[in-house]
Amino acid sequence: MSPPVPSDLGYVPPDGGWGWAVVFGASISVGFAYTFPKAFTIYFKELQAVYSISYSQIAWITSIMCATTYGGGPISSILVNRYGSRPVVIFGGLLCGIGMVSAAFCTSILQLYICVGFITGFGLALNLQPSVIIIGKYFLKRRPIANGLAMAGSPVMLCTLAPLNQFLFDNFGWRGSFLILGAILLHCCVAGALFRPIGAATTPVKPQVTGKGKDALKEEVTEDAMEMGSPTKVPMEDKVEEEGGKACCEKINQYLDFSLFKHRGFLIYLIGNVLMFLGFFAPIVFLAPYAKHIGIDEYSAAFLLSILAIVDMIARPTTGIIANSKWVRPQIQYFFSFSIAFNGTCHLLCPLASGYMGLVIYAIFFGLAFGMVCAMLFETLMDLVGAARFTSAVGLVTIAECCTILLGPPIGGTLIDTFGDYKYMFIKCGAVMVLAGTFLFIMNYYNYRMLAKEEKERKAKEENTKPVRTENEGRNSWNKETTRDGPELEPLSKEQEGLKEEVNGINEV
Amino acid sequence: MAAGAAGPCSLLALLLLGGLAAGVAGTSPEIKAHVTGVSGKLILSCNITAPYPAIKGHEWMHGDKILQTDTESSAFTSYTIEGKMEEHSGVYDCIYKTNPVIKAQVNISVPPQVTAYKKSEHGNEGDTGVLTCKNPSFPPVFSWLWYKSGQEPIINGSGRYIIKSSGNKTELRILKLNIEEDTGDYHCNATNSYGSGGATVNLRVRSRLAALWPFLGIVAEVLVLVTIIFIYEKRRKPDEVLDDDDGGSAPLKSNATNHKDKNVRQRNAN
Repeated sequence: MSPPVPSDLGYVPPDGGWGWAVVFGASISVGFAYTFPKAFTIYFKELQAVYSISYSQIAWITSIMCATTYGGGPISSILVNRYGSRPVVIFGGLLCGIGMVSAAFCTSILQLYICVGFITGFGLALNLQPSVIIIGKYFLKRRPIANGLAMAGSPVMLCTLAPLNQFLFDNFGWRGSFLILGAILLHCCVAGALFRPIGAATTPVKPQVTGKGKDALKEEVTEDAMEMGSPTKVPMEDKVEEEGGKACCEKINQYLDFSLFKHRGFLIYLIGNVLMFLGFFAPIVFLAPYAKHIGIDEYSAAFLLSILAIVDMIARPTTGIIANSKWVRPQIQYFFSFSIAFNGTCHLLCPLASGYMGLVIYAIFFGLAFGMVCAMLFETLMDLVGAARFTSAVGLVTIAECCTILLGPPIGGTLIDTFGDYKYMFIKCGAVMVLAGTFLFIMNYYNYRMLAKEEKERKAKEENTKPVRTENEGRNSWNKETTRDGPELEPLSKEQEGLKEEVNGINEV
Repeated sequence: MAAGAAGPCSLLALLLLGGLAAGVAGTSPEIKAHVTGVSGKLILSCNITAPYPAIKGHEWMHGDKILQTDTESSAFTSYTIEGKMEEHSGVYDCIYKTNPVIKAQVNISVPPQVTAYKKSEHGNEGDTGVLTCKNPSFPPVFSWLWYKSGQEPIINGSGRYIIKSSGNKTELRILKLNIEEDTGDYHCNATNSYGSGGATVNLRVRSRLAALWPFLGIVAEVLVLVTIIFIYEKRRKPDEVLDDDDGGSAPLKSNATNHKDKNVRQRNAN
C-alpha cells in the first residue's frame, strides 16, 4: 500500500498479527476514556435530586474527570516510559474500577468528586495515553489505519454505553449502576492484558529476578530502551547511575522528554491543537440544545447526535485508510489541517441551516469532519516526533490541551447566554478552527521544507562519517522519521556506544 | 367520528356564562359563551349581544398563547379544537377587538384526568421512594387521596409516609423502604368539583444486593479473560525464555506463527 518507512524504534514493527489484537484493546481503552464522561451525564438528574444540589455543581464531576484524564497525561507518559504500556493500563483499569465501586458507597457530593472525578479520571488517563502509545510500537506502515480503528472505539463505545447506562439506572438505581460500571471499567484491564510488550532484544541484561518474573522483567527492560527516546540517552540499563555524570535535566528527560519543546514539529502541533480545541467540543455539547431552541422536539434532537455518532464511527477507519494511502501519507499534516479547516467551515455554515433537514445535513458533515480530525489526532503527532519520543510528546500535548478543552464549552455557553443566540457560538468555534487549520497548514508547509533541507544536509554529512549503517538509513522517503531520530536507527549495543555519541553529536534535534 | 358524543346531536356538556365587558357607557353588551362537542370536535363559540361597539376582529387565547385571530366584524366567533374535552380542558378567552376590548371566558371543565408520572417506580431498600401522580386538566383538584391496594387510605405523616399535594400534582414519599411491606400497587385518587379520577403506580423495592450479582459476574468474566490472555501469551513464547537465557544468541527454535517478530529478534540480537 505505501512504500516502506524507516523505523526509529530500533526494530521493525509487525504491522499486523498480534497488532490487530492490540488495536482492539486500544479501541476499548480509548473508547472508555473519551465516552465515559459523556455517558455519565445520565445520572445527573438523579444525583441532583438525591444530594439537593444545582446543575453546575453536578457538572463539576465530569469537568474534574475530563481535567484529570487530560491533565494526567504527563504522569501517564512517565509511567509508560518507566514501566511500559501494559502495567500502566492494567493499573489504570483497576483504578477506574475501584473509583466507581467506591462511588457506589458515597454519601456526599465531595466524595463523588473524589471517587468519580479524580480516581476514575486518573484511571482513564492511565488508559488513554498508553493505548495510543502502543499502537506506535506495533504499527508503522499501517499506522494510520491502526490509529483510525483504535479511535473508532470512541463512537462505538458511546453508542453502547449511553443506552446501557440508562438500562442500568432503570434497573438498579444509581448506586447499583456505579457498582456495575466499576466492573465494566475493569475491561480496561483486559485491554491492557492484550498490550503485549514489544521491542528488540538488545543488550544482554543480567537476570535480576528469577522465576516467572524474569520474562516480564526482560520485556520491560528492553521496552525501557525503546521508550526512553531522548537523543542524549545511552544504552538501557535499569541502573541509571551507571552512566555517571548525567546532568539533572537529562535524567528528567529520560522520564519525560522536555527537549521536545525545542522540536519544531512538536511546537507547531502543540500550538495548532491547543487553538483547535477551543472550538472542538462546544458544538457537540450545544447541538441538541440548539435544535430544541429552533423548535425541534427532544427525540429528534437526540437523534441528531446519533446521526453524528454513526457517521463518526464510519469516518474514522475510512480516514485511517485514506491517510495510509501513498498519496496522502507523506503529506498527512496537510490532510490534518484540511480536516480541521473543514470542520471549522461546517460550524460557520451551521447558522445558515434552517429546519430539521438542514441540521441533519450539518450533523452528517460535522460527524464526518469530527471523525477525520479525531482519527488523525495522534497519528500526526507520531508522524512529527517519531514513535520513540511519542510517549513523552503525547503526555505534554494532553496537559496543554487540557486547559482549552475545558474552556471551550463554557466560553460557548457564555456567548450563548450573552447574545441569546447560538449562532455566535458556532461562528466562534468555526473561526477558531479555520484559524487553527490554516496555521497548521502554513507552518507544516514550512516544516516540510525545513525537513527536506535538513535531510539533504544530513545526507551530505553522512557520506563522511562511519560506514556502520543499517539498511534503513538508505530509505529516506519520510524525512520526518529519520532526521531527528538518527541514533535510534541503529540497534543499541555496547560496542556501538562510542559511535552513537558521535552520531548524537552530529544530529542535533 | 363520534367518539364520546351521543349520536349526531350536539352535546351540551357544559355551558358557562361569559364574563362581561368593561366600561361601556349605558347598557353593557352580554356575551354568550358555548362549548359543544360534535363528532370528535369541540366548538367553542362566543356571541355578543347588542348593543356593541364596532368590532374590528376576534381573537381566541388559551393562557398567553394566541390560538386564532381574524379581522371579521361579526358578532359571532367560534374556535374549533380536534379532540375530546378531557384532553383540552382549561380556560379559553374569546376577545373582541373593540374599543375598549371586550372579552369572555370559556371554560372546558372535566373530572380529574389523573396520570402517574411513571407507572412503575423503583426504589432501593433503605432509601426513600417517591410516587407521583399528576392532573393536568381543569379545574384543579382540591382533594388527593393515596391508598395501597386493599388497605386504608394513607395519612400524611403517619408511619413512614409523607404526602405533598397541590392542585395538579401529588407526591407520596415512603421513607426507609422495606422490601416486604412496601412493594405493591398504590392508588392515587383525585376529586374536583366535577368528579373524581385516579391512577395506579406500582412500586418495586430493590434489594441492596441486587446489583452485587452482576458485579461479581462481570469481575469473574474479566479475571477469566485476563487469565486466558496471559496463558495464551506464555504458551506462545517459550522460545523467548530460552532466547534471554542464552544472553541474546540466536533462538534455538521458533515455533511461533508470527515470524516477523522472531525475525526481528534474530536480526538484532547478535
